[in-house]
Amino acid sequence: MKEMPNQQPPKLASRLFDWWGGRALTEDLKGDLEEGFYENLEAKGSFKAKWIYTYQVLTLCFSYALKRRKDSAAYSPYYATNSLAMFNNYFKIAMRNFMKQKLFTSINLLGLALGMSICLLAISITYSILESDNFHEKKERVFQINAYLKDADQSRIYGSVFPAVGDYMEEKYPFIETALNIHSGFRPVVNHHGNLLDFHGYYVDPEFFQVFSFKLIEGDPRTALAKPNTIILTKSVAEKLFRDADPMGKVLETETGSFTVTGVMPDLKETHLYFQVLTSQQTYKLQLADHNPVNDWKQYRNHYLYLLLKPETQNASLQDALAQTSVKAEEFNPETSIELQSVRLDKAVPRWDISNAIGIGWDYPSLLFFFFIGLLILLPAIFNYTNLSIARAMKRAKEIGIRKVVGAQKAQIKAQFIVETVIMTILALVGSMFVFVIVQNELLDMIISAEVLNTSIRPSLVVVFIIFGLIIGVLSGLFPAVYFSRLSPIHSLKGDMKPGSFSVSGIKKGLFVFQFALSLFFIIGVATIVRQYHHVFNRQHGFDSENVLTIAFNGQNKEVALQELARHPDVKAVTTTSHLPGINMQSASWAIPNGKDTLQASEIFIGDDFVKNMNMELVWGFSPPKNQSTHNEELVMVNEEFLRAASVFDRAEDTLTFVMEDGRHARISGVLKDLHYEPLSREIRPMIFRKSTAKSQFVLLSLQSNDIQKTIGELEEIWTEVDQKVPFEASFLDDEIERAYKFLTVQIKIFSFLGALAIVISCLGLLGMVSYTTENRTKEIAIRKIMGASVSSIYLLLTRDFIRLIGYSALLAIPLAYVFYDKMFLYFLIRYGLGLGFWEVLASVFFLFLLGFFFIFWQTSKVAQSNPATNLRYE
Amino acid sequence: MKGYLGEFEELVLLTIANLADEAYGMALLRDINERANRNLSLGAMHSTLTRLEEKGFITSYLGEPTNERGGRRKRYFELTANAIAALNEMKSLRDELWSNAKINLSL
Repeated sequence: MKEMPNQQPPKLASRLFDWWGGRALTEDLKGDLEEGFYENLEAKGSFKAKWIYTYQVLTLCFSYALKRRKDSAAYSPYYATNSLAMFNNYFKIAMRNFMKQKLFTSINLLGLALGMSICLLAISITYSILESDNFHEKKERVFQINAYLKDADQSRIYGSVFPAVGDYMEEKYPFIETALNIHSGFRPVVNHHGNLLDFHGYYVDPEFFQVFSFKLIEGDPRTALAKPNTIILTKSVAEKLFRDADPMGKVLETETGSFTVTGVMPDLKETHLYFQVLTSQQTYKLQLADHNPVNDWKQYRNHYLYLLLKPETQNASLQDALAQTSVKAEEFNPETSIELQSVRLDKAVPRWDISNAIGIGWDYPSLLFFFFIGLLILLPAIFNYTNLSIARAMKRAKEIGIRKVVGAQKAQIKAQFIVETVIMTILALVGSMFVFVIVQNELLDMIISAEVLNTSIRPSLVVVFIIFGLIIGVLSGLFPAVYFSRLSPIHSLKGDMKPGSFSVSGIKKGLFVFQFALSLFFIIGVATIVRQYHHVFNRQHGFDSENVLTIAFNGQNKEVALQELARHPDVKAVTTTSHLPGINMQSASWAIPNGKDTLQASEIFIGDDFVKNMNMELVWGFSPPKNQSTHNEELVMVNEEFLRAASVFDRAEDTLTFVMEDGRHARISGVLKDLHYEPLSREIRPMIFRKSTAKSQFVLLSLQSNDIQKTIGELEEIWTEVDQKVPFEASFLDDEIERAYKFLTVQIKIFSFLGALAIVISCLGLLGMVSYTTENRTKEIAIRKIMGASVSSIYLLLTRDFIRLIGYSALLAIPLAYVFYDKMFLYFLIRYGLGLGFWEVLASVFFLFLLGFFFIFWQTSKVAQSNPATNLRYE
Repeated sequence: MKGYLGEFEELVLLTIANLADEAYGMALLRDINERANRNLSLGAMHSTLTRLEEKGFITSYLGEPTNERGGRRKRYFELTANAIAALNEMKSLRDELWSNAKINLSL
């Protein structure tokens, strides 16, 4: 035996060998290596010996010998990787643990179920969008044509193309079976029993139903759109207009002409096209009259093109044709570089940034945003799981210690905990699907045009959900799994794991603060919007809306009807108006204040006593009395904004007169204080109030009644006596205004829902953390009590940390909330709103603290008030 | 391919026979490198040993731990009956070829 040299084999190489060898039996190989090293050390010196050693390690690493040994080590029964039996065992242990630790299980199940629900919604929407237009039989041969336009000012992709492209290509290239032109912007306004209903739709070529596989419930798809002024209705429109009657062949009177109904089709589902009505392309040509779209190579907006290719056409020939057509288009637009592009029908949505695209704007950024919101809710639930799993490590440490002693490898411990988490998430997924089914209609209502999505639960969607659940399970289980697999068996079996590692550590503190800041952010959101809501109804728009009944006129003798209505004893005052106050208005008119320049202003026709009845405030002058207007001059009222806007113009003479749209001269008799005649989200615009009962469309009745239903019933009798053909359509002005603020209610709903989710999840996390920390400190508290600590000081001790953390989250959330709500969100939502209120923020923080206190108190009182003697015997 | 013996495999088997009770990895490598004046790596050596073991020509066992090599055990190799038969066959083939050679092979 050699004397022990102080030279050692190179560490790097030995470590490499150990790492590469892994579990393989390499004792003899290492012995050989070392023997060779010491031999060379004597014969050739240290440097060379080390070099040779490293070389030998490398040859062994690449050798068949080591590979073989590694393989056999992997399959040896002693080191078997997870077999089915082990997975069975994991499943059993997981179930037992779930049953044993009911609080932990229910907190996580509830948290994950709620957290995943928004993500499920996002997934189902995305899935439905991805499936859009898959039902078309010819989807593989139909291509949407987009135009990439680049000139000095802009470079972007348009979903629309030049109207001439379709016919040009169809004529020139024989492989094109049909070129389908669609023009958007068909907006018929139908007068339906006195109500103006506007619909939206497209002007389409007659081949519409040959290219797309939309079905017709009634009508012939080949001829329905062949003639001008024909119209196809979707089912819901047909029902709205004709109830049960057969709409076929009926004539719709609209502001743009009359249309014959030639077909009824089902409501749209899973398609990127979005219309309520269709009319023929010939109608469009008729409306344009002098302008033939076939020759239009300039105006590319709102005109869309779909090409149906003949079967087995090569994609390359389409691309060539598009390239040639682009060159042709560039001849007409020398300033612009044009590149026509094709998108297969079923790939049309979701899309990236395409300007002036047809139909619904399902694009990737909004989907990503949706997923972001979903994850924002889901993340706290995952944090809870991670936090709580690690916090209860004490309970599982012994089990893991024994598993390791018996021979479990790290990977197996990891697998066990990941399996456990996956079981948990799949269970939560089931719950989440219930939540999803319950809330999906409510939530989808808030998304524009979501009715075309198919979010019903179907097998393929469930598969996607399960894959999502698995991913979430693995993700949330990963951190605890790694943590547990690293536990040292000796420490965990001796039970001397340091309790310090279970107190609220840095990362956990961070997660905790994040959760509560998020909750607070949403609570402030709810409080703020509720405040705006109250503001809208309480601070008033500048007029009285309470107990005002509105009835729509419909062609009867207005004067007679008014007189009759005024006779009813409960009717305190009667007036009329052309536009209901507090509701969006479409009255665009103008005035000429100085004989040449025009001023945009809304004209509103009002009846007698309008200003008095509605309790509007006059800053100057008087409301024009009856019959004071002369033939030359009409007495009108304006609002302050009108005067401000008019003052810009150069007005030499009489500043009280101007010329109105219909050419009449007006003299201002009174000026109304600026009021919100439109919702508070709209800017106050110049307004002209003209006296005319004849042009009014609504009766406004100020009622004072003990039995409002009876009064309305009696009023209806009076109304129908005057003219039996006219329906009685009455509603309260308050309700009408509330409907105009539907967007606010929607926002309140969204924020309340998200807020509730975030709060519940955060509180669950808080509950879990408090219960486990107090449990771990049971002995400490018992000793403190024996040494003379009071119950209140124990409370303080236990709650201090958490209260401080909630405090931090408030500090984090309030500035964020201020910037987001006050500076961005509310500004767009309600221009004349109140902004973020101090008291609302304070109340939100107070609410959060209260919730936190409640949970902390609930959990700590168990420990703080218990008998220290029993607690000392604990464990 | 069980019966086939490569030149190097034959060399290894014969060396094992030479070293008898002291036939372990490093000793074999040293012996072959010296005798045959080669520069074999440990990896190549062990790969060949593993293949021979798979073909059933040798068996191996771990020795007792000693003070040498930091207490690590050595893996000793032994010839099987198959190996002895194969070696004999090889030798008789060679002897036959040598004796029948028409050209004088002596140096």
